[in-house]
Amino acid sequence: MTFPILSSILLCPVIGLILVLFMPPKQENAIRVISLLSAAASLVLSLWLCFHFNSSNPAFQFVEHVEWVKSYGINYAMGVDGLNISMILLTAIVIFCGVLVSWTVTYRVKDFFANLLFLVAGVFGVFMTTNLFFFFLFYEIAVIPMYLLIVVWGSTDKEYAAMKLTLYLLLGSALMFAGFLYMYSLPGGHTFDLVALKQNVLFTPEQQNILFLGLFLGFGVLAACFPFHVWSPAGHVAAPTAASMLHAGVLMKLGAYGILRVAVFLLPEGARHWADLIAVLALCNIVYGAFVATQQKDLKYIIGYSSVSHMGIVLLGIATMTPTGFNGAIFQMFSHGIMTALFFACVGPIYDQCHTRMLGDLGGLAKKAPIISTFFIIAGLCGLGLPGMGSFVAELLVTIAAVSAYPLIGVISIIALLITAYYVLSAVQKVFYGPLSPAGEHLHDIGAFQFVPRAVLVGCLLFFGIFPGIFIEWISVYTKTLLGG
Amino acid sequence: MTLLFLPEMMLSFLSVALLCLTLLKNQKSEKFLSNFMLLSGLLLMAGCLLSLNLTGSLFSNTYRVDLFSQGFKTITALAFLLTVLLAAEWNQIPKNRLVEFYLFLTTGALGMMMMASAVDVLSLFVAIELSAYSLYLLAALKVGSRNAESSVKYLIFGATTSGVALWGLSLVVGLTGSTSIAEILASPAALSGQPAFVIGLALFSLSLLFKLSGFPLQFWAPDVYESASTPAVSFIATASKAAAVTVLIRLFFISGMPAAFSMALGVLAFISMTLGNTAALLQTDVKRLLAYSSIAQAGYILVGLLSGSANGMSTAFFYAFAYVLMNSAAFLVLTLVAKSAGHDNPQISHFDGLAERSPFLALMLLLSLLSLAGIPPLIGFTGKWILFSSAMEKGHWFLVLWAVLNSVVSLFYYLTIVKHAYITKPKDTSPLEVPIRLRVAAIGLCAALVLMGIFPGYFISFAEHAVALGLIR
Repeated sequence: MTFPILSSILLCPVIGLILVLFMPPKQENAIRVISLLSAAASLVLSLWLCFHFNSSNPAFQFVEHVEWVKSYGINYAMGVDGLNISMILLTAIVIFCGVLVSWTVTYRVKDFFANLLFLVAGVFGVFMTTNLFFFFLFYEIAVIPMYLLIVVWGSTDKEYAAMKLTLYLLLGSALMFAGFLYMYSLPGGHTFDLVALKQNVLFTPEQQNILFLGLFLGFGVLAACFPFHVWSPAGHVAAPTAASMLHAGVLMKLGAYGILRVAVFLLPEGARHWADLIAVLALCNIVYGAFVATQQKDLKYIIGYSSVSHMGIVLLGIATMTPTGFNGAIFQMFSHGIMTALFFACVGPIYDQCHTRMLGDLGGLAKKAPIISTFFIIAGLCGLGLPGMGSFVAELLVTIAAVSAYPLIGVISIIALLITAYYVLSAVQKVFYGPLSPAGEHLHDIGAFQFVPRAVLVGCLLFFGIFPGIFIEWISVYTKTLLGG
Repeated sequence: MTLLFLPEMMLSFLSVALLCLTLLKNQKSEKFLSNFMLLSGLLLMAGCLLSLNLTGSLFSNTYRVDLFSQGFKTITALAFLLTVLLAAEWNQIPKNRLVEFYLFLTTGALGMMMMASAVDVLSLFVAIELSAYSLYLLAALKVGSRNAESSVKYLIFGATTSGVALWGLSLVVGLTGSTSIAEILASPAALSGQPAFVIGLALFSLSLLFKLSGFPLQFWAPDVYESASTPAVSFIATASKAAAVTVLIRLFFISGMPAAFSMALGVLAFISMTLGNTAALLQTDVKRLLAYSSIAQAGYILVGLLSGSANGMSTAFFYAFAYVLMNSAAFLVLTLVAKSAGHDNPQISHFDGLAERSPFLALMLLLSLLSLAGIPPLIGFTGKWILFSSAMEKGHWFLVLWAVLNSVVSLFYYLTIVKHAYITKPKDTSPLEVPIRLRVAAIGLCAALVLMGIFPGYFISFAEHAVALGLIR
C-alpha cells in the first residue's frame, strides 16, 4: 500500500476544519493560522504530487480504492490523471491565496474559515474521486458552504444571489443525479465506479445521446453555460472576496471538469452527437458574455461576465472534440481560475476601503494604490490574452482547434476577443487612471503580507504562460486517449 | 419466550404502572415522572438492543420475531426515548394530564412494536388500532379549540380509514380462507390477480397511507402537527411513520406488487411529493411546514417501496430510520425554540438569529434540514441515493427524476429557515441554553446524521439482512 497522497491532500482542509470547529471563537488569529497551515499543507502535497506525476501514463495514478457499500457499487476510489492533476494544483493555489486574502475578515471569523475549508474539501474531493457517488457527494458539499458564505459575509443583494446560486446549482445536480442513477440501472452497470462503468456498460446510441444531453445540461449549469449562466455573475458579485475567488476560480471549473471526466469519458458518441449544440452555446457564452460585460458599471459584474465569456472558450474547446481543443480547454480552465482569483483579490481591498465598486465613482486609484493596480492590470492583460500569459496559449489552442472544426464560430470567437480587450482596458482606464475620485481618498495600498498571495497568482500566470510545455505535457497523453485515439 | 417478547413486556408493564399512577389522587411530581420515564426509555432501548438478534415466533405463529421486526422496534424505542426527553423540556398540556400523556405514549409505542412483529391479519389489525387510538388521544391532550377541532378530525378520519381497512382485510381473508399472512401468501397464484383480492389489499394499504400521511390521506397532518403539543407531534412524525413503513414493506412482499398496484402507487407518490413540497413553500408556521415536508417525504418512501424488490424494501427500511433521526433532530431544535419563545407554534421568525443565540442548535438545525432535503454528506442524502437507485433499477426513471427535482424545490423552504437562523438579527438576543440531557441526545443525533451519511455501509447491509430475514415467503 503506497502512501495515500490524494486522501492526505483532501484531509488537510478536513483536519483544519475540525480544529477550527473546536477553537473558541475569540481566538481569531489562531483560527486564521490553522486555516493557513492546512491550506499550505495541501499546497505542498499537491506540488509533491505534480512532481511525482508520470505524464506518459494514461491510466489513473496514485489510485486508492476502498470498498464502501458493496451492494451498490460504491467505492471510495481516488485517482489522478492528466485532467485532474492541474485542477488539484489550481485548487490548492487558489485556497492558499484565498486564506491569505481573507486575513482581513473580522466578522464571525471562525464560521467563515470553517465554511471556506469545508468548501475546499468538497472541491478537492470532486477533482480526485473516480466514483460517481463520491463525485456527487463532494460536489454538493462544495455548494452548501457557498450559500452560507454569500448569505452571511456577502454584499449587494446577497440573499437573492445566494438562493439563486444554490437553487441553480442543485437543479443542475438533480439532472446529474438522475443521469448517474440511469447509468447505474443499465445492464452491466450496477456500479458507480467510473472505470467499471466504462468497461462494463455498452451504451446504445440513443442512451448515449439522452444521457449526454442530461449530464451536459447538469454540468453546464455549473460551468455557467449559456443560458444557465445567470446565477454566476450575481453570485460573484454578492460573494465575499475569498468566496468569489474560489467560486470563479475553482467552482465553475467543476462543471467543465465534470463534462470531461464523466460525460465525454463515458459517452464519447453522445458528445460527438451534441458537439454542434455545445459549440453554438459556447459561442453565445463568448460573445454574449463579452457584450454584457461592456455594459456593466460594477467592477465585479464586469469580471463576472468576463468569466462567462471565458468559460465559453472552455466549452468551445470541448466542442471541437479534438486533443488540441481539449488541451486548450483544460489550460484555459487552469489559467482562467488563477486569473479570476487575482481579479477578485484586487477588487476585494478596493471595495472594502472605497465602499463602492461602481466605475463612475472610482478613478485614479493607481496614484493611491500602485501595487493593487499593477496586479489588476496584469490580470486584465491576461484576460485579454496577452502573449506570455497562460490564457494566451489556452485561447490560441482553442481557436486553432475551433477554426478547423467550426470555421465560422472560430472566427467569430477571435473577433469577440477584441471586445474583451475593449471592456478590460476601459475598466482599467476608468478605475486606475484619470483624476483621483473622492471615494478613492481613503484607499491604502496593500502591505507586504497581502502582497504575497497576489504575487503567487501572478507568478503562476507568468510561469505557465512562459513555459506552457510543462502543462501541455501533463495533459496531452490524457486528451489523446480520451477519445480512444 | 420472555426474552423474545422483552420490549413489548417492558412497555406493557410500564403502561400498567402508569395506569395505576393515574388512579392516585395526589399531585404527582413532574420531575419524578420525567426521570422515571427517561429511565424506562433507556431500559426499553437496552431491552430492544438485547433482543435485536433473536428470532422466533410466538402465540401460535401469529407473532414473528426476527431482525426486521427487532430493528424497527429499536427505532421505535429510540423515538420513544427522544420524545420522553423532549416532553420533559416543553409540553403544552395541563399538568394533571401528564401521566395520561405518558400512558398513551407508552401504549402507542407498544402498538407500533406489535405492528412490526404481527404476521397474522388479526393481530396486525389490533396492533394498528392500539397505536392509532393512542395517537388520537395524544394529539387531543392539549387544551384549546383549535386542538379540539383537529383531534376530532384526526379521530374521525382515522377511524373511518380503519373501518375501510378492516373491510379490505375481510375481503382478503374471505378469498383465501386464512388469517395468517403466510397462508394468504401460500394461496394459489391465480388469486393474486382477482380484483377483489387487489381491492382488499388496496383498501388495507389506505390505512397505512393515512399513518404515513401520503396522498390521498394526508390532510390530517398539517392540522394535527400544528395544534398538538410538540413532543406528541415529534412522536407521531417519527415512530408512527416508521411503523407504517414496516407494515407496508411486509404487505408488499405478500402482494408481490401487481402492475396496476405499482402504477397506482407511483401516481400517489407523484402527487404526495408535489403537493407536500408546493404547500410547504407557503408556510410560516414551522410545525405546519414540517407536516407538509413529511407528506413529501412519504412520497419519496413510496418511490422506494414501489420498486418491489428486496433491494427496494431494504432502502425503504434504511430511509425510514434516516427519517426518524433527521426528523427527531429537527423537532429537538423546534422544541427548544418553542420553549424559549414560550409559544408552542414557532413561526419561522422565531428562528431569527439562532446562530447567535446558540451556535450549536443552529448547526443542528442546519444538519437536520439539509439532511431532509437530501444534501450530502448527511444520512438523508445517502438514504435518498440508494432509495432512488433501487427505483431506477426497476425503470421508474420518471418518478426518480421528479423526486430529485422535488428535492431541489424543498431546499428552498428548508434554506429559508436556515437563512433566518443564520443572518436575520434576533429580537430576543438572550443565549438559548441547551439542557445537559438534551445536549447529549443532540450531539448523538448530529453525529449519527453525519457519520451514517458518510459510512453507511454497515447500516445498509443491516437493512438488507433484516429485509431478507423478514421475508415471509
